[in-house]
Amino acid sequence: MRKRLPSLALLLALLAGWEAVVRLAGVSALVIPAPSAVFAVLWSGLVTPGFLWQHIWVTGAETLLGFALGCSIGFVCGLVLGEVEPLRRLLWPYVLATQVVPKLALGPIFIIWFGFGMTSTVVITALICFFPLLENTMTGLQAATPEKRDLFRMLGARQWQTLLRLKIPSGLPVIMAGVRIAIVLALVGAVVGEFIGGSEGLGASIIAAQGMMDSTLMFALFIAIAAMGLLFYQLTLIIERWLLRGWLKGTIT
Amino acid sequence: MSTDTAFFSVDRVSHAYEDGTAVLRAIDWSIPAGAFHCLVGRSGCGKTTLLKLVAGLVQATEGGVRIEGQAIQGPSPKVGFVFQAPALLEWLSVIDNVLLPISLHRRVQVADRGTAAELLELVGIADLAKRHPGQLSGGQQSRAALARALVTSPPALLMDEPFAALDAITREELQDDLLRLVALRRTTVLFVTHDIAEAVYLGDRVAVMDQGKIALTTSIDLAKPRACDCRYDPHFTAHCQKIRAAMTLHTVELD
Repeated sequence: MRKRLPSLALLLALLAGWEAVVRLAGVSALVIPAPSAVFAVLWSGLVTPGFLWQHIWVTGAETLLGFALGCSIGFVCGLVLGEVEPLRRLLWPYVLATQVVPKLALGPIFIIWFGFGMTSTVVITALICFFPLLENTMTGLQAATPEKRDLFRMLGARQWQTLLRLKIPSGLPVIMAGVRIAIVLALVGAVVGEFIGGSEGLGASIIAAQGMMDSTLMFALFIAIAAMGLLFYQLTLIIERWLLRGWLKGTIT
Repeated sequence: MSTDTAFFSVDRVSHAYEDGTAVLRAIDWSIPAGAFHCLVGRSGCGKTTLLKLVAGLVQATEGGVRIEGQAIQGPSPKVGFVFQAPALLEWLSVIDNVLLPISLHRRVQVADRGTAAELLELVGIADLAKRHPGQLSGGQQSRAALARALVTSPPALLMDEPFAALDAITREELQDDLLRLVALRRTTVLFVTHDIAEAVYLGDRVAVMDQGKIALTTSIDLAKPRACDCRYDPHFTAHCQKIRAAMTLHTVELD
């Protein structure tokens, strides 16, 4: 806590400076709203009458659904491509090619396929989360040293045993790094997905606020999104630490 | 050499890399059951390849290896392997690492845990059973790897410079512990090393490998069980000199 005190002080100083500049220079609330005004909107959004919660719920659900879907499919595809050499050689150029396509650019076509609303956003989010998991799983599977592979061969392990008990655990730190990338991208995917085709959620609310020229509400929404991102990221870290507890025991004594 | 009582028989084994570079040239060797053979050579002389061939991890280009008269097709459950690096799984505790050879094939039973605990006692790290590999020193990791190789009580052990990365004192301790353990179980051992003194101290018989051929084989007639002070015996030094000479023979010829 003591170490974080300077960062906290910096934040307060910045907010105070911002408030002072806005008030003294008379900057229009349309351009940059005062922090006090932003917090007032945030307060009414979260406490009374609490109109933000429904949007937070929608965006949170889209993010987590898309994240879970994209990560699981990416992980499984990574396992298959990592283990089946001919398939990897066949598909790798396409995987690379699709990775270069900006996934958000596919939003409009998803709206044609899946309609406006949650499904399109979840699909975009899943697609964004798919690639980091695919790539990190494939890389992670190579992490086991040749000696450990020889050990498993010496012990007469079958391919699935080597995969489950050597390659996946060895690659877990790399795979979890992919998960951390994915959770951050998932929120971006959900918010931008709502920009394109959402009627509810924090991203859709930003577009609505833009329509009403309500910059103060937009800033309040930024804060809500940032807080949600931090929360998800911290949760991922906790899960990662739990999964990697065996490794961590080796480093902390 | 009679091959009747041999545990390992290596019959005219040659091996080449895929690009055709010869690594091993027509090696013949037999190791009687219960014997401790050492193979010394410089790095890159093919000794690790020979060990992997005997283990069944590498297929010979020509010739073959037999274990108790049976030609090998791949890794045999009769053979334990100790690698250059301890190769412990970081996410498992020491005791679970030791139990790995069992847990890969069947459910671990209480009796197995007993065996593993006993082995950890024998290699002197019984109090570290619940620790993780990252919390162990290099010597302790090597001890755990040795216990893992012995947990299924294999009749033979193949060892690839297992103590090379350890400091001199730790290495001597581990050498004595190894000799004690394999004498207790009458384990057949093929031990690869680049350290001449280590080979002479451990082996009943030492072979020198040079450029893919066995340049010399010699029996070591030092008293068993070995004691630490035998390293300073003139006999010991004589053996070392003889082996050293065989290792440098071709460079001498070039001069």
